[in-house]
Amino acid sequence: MFEISNTEAGITTNEKLKILADAAKYDVACTSSGVDRRGKKGFLGNSAACGICHSFGADGRCISLLKVLMTNHCIYDCKYCANRVSNDVPRAEFEPEELCRLVMEFYKRNYIEGLFLSSGVFKTPAYTMERMCIILSLLRNKYHFNGYIHVKTIPGAPDELLAAAGYLADRISVNLELPTAESLEKLAPNKSFKTILDPMGKVTDTIAAHRIAIGKDSRMERSTINRYLAGSIFNSSNYVEDHRKPYDVSDRAKIVPENDNVSGKTGNVSDKTMNVSGNYGAAGGGNETDKIFAGLDKQTGKVLRYDKDFLPMRYGDNSLKRAFAPAGQSTQMIVGATEETDYILIRTSQTLYQNYDLKRVFYSAYVPLNEDAVLPALDTAPPLLREHRLYQADWLLRYYGFQANELLSEARPNFNEKVDPKCDWALRNLGDFPVEVQTSTYDKLLRVPGIGPKSARRIMSARRYGSLTYESLKKMGVVLKRAHYFITCNGRMMFNTPIEEEYITRHLVEDNYKDNWKIEHQNEKYHQMSLFDDFNLT
Amino acid sequence: MKIFMCNDRVETKLCCIYTAWECALKVGYDKVGMMVEPVTEPTLFDEYIHVEYDEDHYIKVVRSIRNSISDIAYMYVYYACLSADPDALNKVFRFLRKGFKVGASIIKRLNDPDVMNMMELRRNVGNEIHYFREFARFTSMDSKLYVCHIEPKNNVAYMVGQHFADRMPSEYWMIIDDKRHLAVVHPMDEDTYLRRLTDEEFETLKNTEAKEDEYTDMWRTFFKAVAIEQRKNPECQRSHFPIWMRKHATEFMDV
Repeated sequence: MFEISNTEAGITTNEKLKILADAAKYDVACTSSGVDRRGKKGFLGNSAACGICHSFGADGRCISLLKVLMTNHCIYDCKYCANRVSNDVPRAEFEPEELCRLVMEFYKRNYIEGLFLSSGVFKTPAYTMERMCIILSLLRNKYHFNGYIHVKTIPGAPDELLAAAGYLADRISVNLELPTAESLEKLAPNKSFKTILDPMGKVTDTIAAHRIAIGKDSRMERSTINRYLAGSIFNSSNYVEDHRKPYDVSDRAKIVPENDNVSGKTGNVSDKTMNVSGNYGAAGGGNETDKIFAGLDKQTGKVLRYDKDFLPMRYGDNSLKRAFAPAGQSTQMIVGATEETDYILIRTSQTLYQNYDLKRVFYSAYVPLNEDAVLPALDTAPPLLREHRLYQADWLLRYYGFQANELLSEARPNFNEKVDPKCDWALRNLGDFPVEVQTSTYDKLLRVPGIGPKSARRIMSARRYGSLTYESLKKMGVVLKRAHYFITCNGRMMFNTPIEEEYITRHLVEDNYKDNWKIEHQNEKYHQMSLFDDFNLT
Repeated sequence: MKIFMCNDRVETKLCCIYTAWECALKVGYDKVGMMVEPVTEPTLFDEYIHVEYDEDHYIKVVRSIRNSISDIAYMYVYYACLSADPDALNKVFRFLRKGFKVGASIIKRLNDPDVMNMMELRRNVGNEIHYFREFARFTSMDSKLYVCHIEPKNNVAYMVGQHFADRMPSEYWMIIDDKRHLAVVHPMDEDTYLRRLTDEEFETLKNTEAKEDEYTDMWRTFFKAVAIEQRKNPECQRSHFPIWMRKHATEFMDV
């Protein structure tokens, strides 16, 4: 370890950025969505609920937030991770002020939408988390940064730090990594399901309590479509009672400050408050950050102590209004490192959406980085098409009123590689089709392949004023290529097609073939051979 | 046919609609057309009439759209006036004719081609505004003033500026539309305004993007480091970030 810290001494910010962005790139949960916040004088930044991407990398993934690790030093040895302690990779660590300056300058140039801060576990989870909170606190209170912040929590960090992070950030996330306890034990020996689900549950409860306190519904806002869909997973009548009842929190120590006016509904509130006072040693001695925290508590002159009134959000004049993780909570799962089926993954997602009220679940196709007997071989291609299908299914859960068990079942545990999950569902339920666009209900329209929330809404409002034609449907955004097998318009189908499973499947597979091939082979380089270019005959 | 011509400011375009409408009441709706100057290929048998800005007319048009149709319809018209589509004004004209007849529900009647045209114009302009909220890049002059150059197809500089006025109220910045020589200027803690740049001013501001500092370097470093080699997908990248928009993006500039 000491050699590493020796070589680290003369390293520039640019080199650190290279190492720590490279180390963070496999994290996928980097959207900037979920919260609308206006800018204000004296501060830098605002936030748009739709999320704003700022660039697209060579892999075609959006770059929205400055996605970095605070440090890639790590005491853990998770098998799949590039930064595990047993790997010999260059290591670096950002100084809090250094990272803050980077965020501010990048933000002013419109390079980024905010900060995505994760970290390897340095010394202890508590030490790491405290240092991350210091960075967030500096950004919010000293640099007056009002943009988006997404923070990854470190499994095993104490509650008060979790709370501090939640108040300073917009979105907070705990990575589930793998959907079952057995896989997690196999690949991440230092983590356990308990250290992941525990903080996740606490964050869920705190968000709920906070939302009730400010007069909102305890559950996060979802797309308005779900109000019209009886089968939606967000419809309270469809909650699956699981091992964990949502918001029955009376027996759990809560992580909201006592003086927060939380309504009685949320049960007893413990006196645990957040504090970043340096109980875990990360604040160091005599530096700039220390002074800031010292300034918080001028009345008593004591700095490093536990005090329920000692909240970092009170530093600065506006911070009392800050909500706890207003953009909600998210998580990510690795796809393809272990044997789980798509059914298990999608069931897990649904449970997380319903019982933990997560805003998003992200899927990350496993890219082999380490050689290990329990992992897929190094030359395994990342399962990109599978990841794509999971995202498609995830959207069906959140925006189309589908439930996991409609899409897959124990008997059919994996998605069809050839057609997307919605077409697949429609093909298995041909009895529900064709749908008459002129009279059908909103939820039935949404289930037609090729019709999405926007085009369904346009159809609903336009058909009140006159009859639709295939031409106008096309302009409204309906993908007729897929939809025409499943709809009638004024009683007529677009072409004379039989409603027959085999016939439609064959055509849909043909249509999908090119797209699927592209996703599967996206990183293979191929081009027409040319004498002039390939053999330098020019 | 009478063709009414005006410059490319939104206000003047609305005055042009007013004048054309007035004329149409006398000669018939199909006997008038509108164009944005400069008109390079005039036809032989049409009459070309230049229209100047008139505040009364402008206020009347805005007021009657907002009162007789709806605020959303005015938003559609405003966006259509920003559009680079040469036929945009005539589309607005046709939309308004129907709009004044049926009222606020007009924007929902998407099965009417005239309404669909307006929806497409609005979507096109709206999408471009969003594109530049994403891809506008500021260069720091003296770490106090930030300058951005864009070359949008539609006249969206001011609308893009609105986003940044909310986002960076306490900074000095300007967004320059290189095509139209327009600048959205925002002094610290003050209101944003739009001004037409003189040739001299434009010359001075032209080369701000050439300025390099440690942060432009670090941005390029980050941009390269964050892509996953095993998932390389230039086609996907291109569909999200079209090549014509990369001209002013720091990460795609060769140093």
